[in-house]
Amino acid sequence: MSQIRVLSLEVEDAPNTLTKVSGAIRRRGFHVRGISVGPSRHAGRFRLTLQVDHGHAEADQVRKQLERLVEVVEVEDLTGDEVHSRELVVANVATSDVDALVRLGAKVLSGTTVEFSGERDEVGAFIDELHRHGIVDVARSGPVVMRRA
Amino acid sequence: MILEALEREGVEYVFGYPGGANLPLYQHLHEHPRLKHILVRHEQGAAHMADGYARACGKPGVVFATSGPGALNLVTGLCTAYMDSVPMVAITGQVASTQVGRDAFQESDVIGATSSVTKHSYLVTKIDQLPRVIHEAFHIATTGRPGPVLIDVCKDVQQAEAERVTPDRLQIAGYRLNGHVDLGEASRAARALAEAERPVILAGHGVILSHAEPQLQELAEAAATPVGTTLLGIGAFPVRHPLSLHMTGFMGTGWNLKAVQNADVLMMVGMRVDDRVTARLADFAPRVKTFIHVDIDGSEMGKNVRPHIELVADAKQALAAMTPHVGPVQKDRGRWLSQIDAWREEHPLRYKHSNGRLQPQDVLLDMYRRADNRAIVVADVGQNQIWAALWWNYDRPGLFINSGGAGTMGFALPASLGAKFARPDLPVWCVAGEGGFVMTAQELSVAVEHQLDVKIVILNNFSLGMVRQFQDDFYGGVRSHVDLTHSPDFVKLAEAYGLPARRVERLEDVAPALDAAERTRGPFLVDFRIDPEANVYPIVPLGKSLNEFWEAPEA
Ligand SMILES: Cc1ncc(C[n+]2csc(CCOP(=O)(O)OP(=O)(O)O)c2C)c(N)n1
Repeated sequence: MSQIRVLSLEVEDAPNTLTKVSGAIRRRGFHVRGISVGPSRHAGRFRLTLQVDHGHAEADQVRKQLERLVEVVEVEDLTGDEVHSRELVVANVATSDVDALVRLGAKVLSGTTVEFSGERDEVGAFIDELHRHGIVDVARSGPVVMRRA
Repeated sequence: MILEALEREGVEYVFGYPGGANLPLYQHLHEHPRLKHILVRHEQGAAHMADGYARACGKPGVVFATSGPGALNLVTGLCTAYMDSVPMVAITGQVASTQVGRDAFQESDVIGATSSVTKHSYLVTKIDQLPRVIHEAFHIATTGRPGPVLIDVCKDVQQAEAERVTPDRLQIAGYRLNGHVDLGEASRAARALAEAERPVILAGHGVILSHAEPQLQELAEAAATPVGTTLLGIGAFPVRHPLSLHMTGFMGTGWNLKAVQNADVLMMVGMRVDDRVTARLADFAPRVKTFIHVDIDGSEMGKNVRPHIELVADAKQALAAMTPHVGPVQKDRGRWLSQIDAWREEHPLRYKHSNGRLQPQDVLLDMYRRADNRAIVVADVGQNQIWAALWWNYDRPGLFINSGGAGTMGFALPASLGAKFARPDLPVWCVAGEGGFVMTAQELSVAVEHQLDVKIVILNNFSLGMVRQFQDDFYGGVRSHVDLTHSPDFVKLAEAYGLPARRVERLEDVAPALDAAERTRGPFLVDFRIDPEANVYPIVPLGKSLNEFWEAPEA
């Protein structure tokens, strides 16, 4: 059984918000596997997407502990299949055959630097492919997740 | 501005200590005679005093401290209040907002250091945030599951002038209060208790915090269900009630533990179900078919024990909603209740009083006879705490105050002074071991300065008794760094602070010493030299199940 919960949080844009969220996760023995932060639809609030390993605690404890924080306005549990979960990877590759990567769905940003986005497994497969071409540098984002309409 | 806001919140006492970063606050204190400031002798003392005050009267305790070391000295006190859900507002001075992050003199990251021991905290860098923040802080500290809230106020904000504004109506998007009772679940819970063969209710601090004692008693009587309490739940149900199981947990009474371990339906109300209550979790209440959990904090559901019926709600409302649905009680209930009576006979609380040495129970029983259930007992941590919990029949809430969740030694003296400020009408007894007492003994000055009528009872066993007992019983009998024979002469210490004191070594001197304490107006200290080998029983060995409790040797 997966120990990973995917949570989407709407949080206050306050100086201590990230400290408090990460503190609550650490204190309960959970572990962050992926994170992404960006503005939300509401002014003064951020959208935080977290992949959290809940360790020995009940799965729902992560959500409950985060909901206790006053800085956290809302928590949605998006674990499961009924979601779009997108990650972004940007890579500088040691190959002149950038076209091969483009055929896999990558987009050229400049020269040998490409970007690719997709579900976690797709991004994983893409990075495996990059390894075959040789990677000079690679950066990968945490997930951005939304329930399927 | 801060002081005005505190007056508006109805604050009567502030426990505090000045320093560079909160001087602007202190400069104007004298202009607010309605705020009575108590100068403590260490900031930890301020936090515990505010804590004792809050537990004794239910109003939030208020604390002032300066930045850096002043604020950090509060951490233990905040943690104590946080673990036991005590409402408190701590206002700490911070360096000027232009200095933040530059390692200025006495700058420290107080929010970072305290966020795991506060319910919420604020850093205030602009004056216009202040009215809202203070109003919110009191609201958050006192509502839902109460707890300490810290406000770190930059020095320039304390000095800033601003128009007087009354804060708007509260709108805290991320703060949810659970109050609504699911009536379906409430009636399921009530029926489960009534239909059970062997039901038990355990009540925690949440029952007291929500003033749900009458509702608990009504439900217990309607469903003919025995009730035990946690250490912090003591007072939630009268110890002398025929359905009382007294205290549960790894130092609970034998009949309580037997009942819990044999129950088929167990309802836990206003409690966290921590390891001190369950002992070895895998063997906790193994015969239970239906766990019912009532708590205002939804994150408690399933944190340690997964309930079959859960009510995330205020205890008073939840219990009140259950009673009408109890219906007919299982017809064999009498058998269960007489089984419990048999266990009560079989495993009574007892102590050895035949070896010629003064026993702690001798002292407590005499005190109890005098108190007539209208005195507040504030205990410290260790053996003294458990003796004070078990050897006193608390029949009302709010009479037993102690640090349960954090187990903070040094709590009792300052907390007892806070309790006396809160309840000048009630006698207050402070019960401590000599180890914990010296951790905050400097607060004796506060007792003397304000002539607080607090009677301090030191149960002096010349060692860190509880640790000594653990070493004797569970760590191969190796006594390692528990010897306290080099304690001060407590009578002289008291006299140095300016309060009268006595030493008692024999049983026949207990009553005269307590007479003297009661006759004296103002603080009084008695150093009771008790049997250094006296132990706490029953006790469940570490790592064992509740079934495996050890009992006191025959008297
Ligand atoms: C601040 C703090 N430090 C250490 C402990 C661990 N501890 C728990 S009980 C105890 C012994 C307490 O000794 P004393 O105050 O003499 O009381 P007694 O158990 O003898 O009644 C200790 C050291 C604690 N609870 N709190």
